[in-house]
Amino acid sequence: MKLYRIWGIFLRYFYNLIRTYDRLTDMFFWPFLDLLLWGLTSRYLVSSGAIDNKIILALLGGVVLWIFPWRSQYEITVNLLEELWNRNLVNLFATPILFSEWVTTLMLIGIFKSTISFAFASLVALALYSTNIYALGLSLLPWAGLLILFGWVFGLLIAGIVMRHGTKIQTLAWISISIISPFVGVYYPVSTLPHWAQVVAHYVPASYVFESMRSLIMGNPVPLTNLFFPLLLCLVYLAIAMQMLYSSYRVILKRGLISVE
Amino acid sequence: MAILEVLDLKKTFKKSPVIKGLTFDMAEGEILGILGPNGAGKTTTLQMLLGILTPTSGTIKVFGKDLSTHKSEILEHMNFSSTYVDLPWRLTVKENLIWSAWLYNIPDRKKRLNQIRELFRLEKQWNMPVASLSAGQKTRVNLARSMVNFPSLLLLDEPTASLDPEVAAYIREFFANQRATYNKSIILTSHNMSEVENLCDRVIILKDGLIVGNDTPGNLAKKIEFSHLRLRVTKNLGELDKLIALRKLEVIKDGPTTRLLSRNNFSHFSSTNLPKKM
Repeated sequence: MKLYRIWGIFLRYFYNLIRTYDRLTDMFFWPFLDLLLWGLTSRYLVSSGAIDNKIILALLGGVVLWIFPWRSQYEITVNLLEELWNRNLVNLFATPILFSEWVTTLMLIGIFKSTISFAFASLVALALYSTNIYALGLSLLPWAGLLILFGWVFGLLIAGIVMRHGTKIQTLAWISISIISPFVGVYYPVSTLPHWAQVVAHYVPASYVFESMRSLIMGNPVPLTNLFFPLLLCLVYLAIAMQMLYSSYRVILKRGLISVE
Repeated sequence: MAILEVLDLKKTFKKSPVIKGLTFDMAEGEILGILGPNGAGKTTTLQMLLGILTPTSGTIKVFGKDLSTHKSEILEHMNFSSTYVDLPWRLTVKENLIWSAWLYNIPDRKKRLNQIRELFRLEKQWNMPVASLSAGQKTRVNLARSMVNFPSLLLLDEPTASLDPEVAAYIREFFANQRATYNKSIILTSHNMSEVENLCDRVIILKDGLIVGNDTPGNLAKKIEFSHLRLRVTKNLGELDKLIALRKLEVIKDGPTTRLLSRNNFSHFSSTNLPKKM
């Protein structure tokens, strides 16, 4: 891998970001709206005596942490779509760049943008509801890492499908991670789910992060297995997702990159 | 030394053979034209040479190295321009050339981009988004992008299509000078016969995925006798009938166009203004 090529691909998406207002607002608008709605709902529930301040932190913490998988998935799939909309795949791959360099750049952009959105959302939570997400401490770092990995898994899987089938299924790029979100338990404990869904949640790495967050807020201990088991799951899923994406790339190379749209 | 060696190259799409076994090579500093009717396989061949389409079988060697195993290394010294490919349209010309330049190991990118801006007369368009450019200006930007890495081998797919005659002439002269000064090798597909005749040292003619001619433009013209003729007949129709009989031409009506096909299968004559009598 060559760093100058990764920088070149990064610049291509960075220029696109600063020239595209909807991509810019995506980074800030949706986190803001989610926080506004969940924050107001939490305040209402607190004022009615239904919940306490710890639940507010759990709810808003869920909103803010969910940014990591959402943005890291989104950056991979939507940036692939950008190449299809611009008929730019040929310009990319008729150059010395390696497929792995392109994928690595998309993953790094996911970290870059999710970190910016997270920082913005945490400030909004503090400003509007006096809720300090950073009170969760250093645990935020491994959680953020796990959630980004989880987002990459989805991003790569969906990118593989979009590569093969083109823009006619582009909606997947926006909605795919929402499909799994009920099993993640962003806003509620996994135990709330029916038994069969709890079994599914057991194999969803992100569910362990939100369970751990709630445990920590409630003052309960967080077992280390809640970190290592989802990490193992993420790495296995990531390897499968990468293999699937690469296989899709080989398929479109057989059809010709010029024909992908 | 051959800069490019293609051996028994084949491509099949969904059981339909499109390229049926191309074997040719190209010397350093040569300008090679690829001609053929639509669907002959010109663009498919260029895509395989760029590594953006996997051949069904056959080998491609560029700079003595196998493209399938040394793609990244080879593409450092190659580039292309095609009318079938767009650039990110929200980005300005400058931004598109900057990110493209970073994909190559260029010692002084800033200096190179300034040269490119002047060479392709892009001063006015430099800070304009690609979306706001005319078709001809986009073609010029594409050509400029293809020169950012100062390639040793350049693949041009209809490079002067949509350019106005003055700019097209300038671009042709530019590529001729690149070859003369820096010994660049260029592969060019075109529908413009005079362009091919003026620029190319050698021409490969493709038809239905096969090479049906491979020679200098002069020799090919001698072999074919006529390469392309556009007729506008307003009187002496009898003379036209004589010509058809003499050359044993086949008359094919295709909508408003009447084509006269010769027996050798790859030279053809066309006109949109033949008299109704035909």
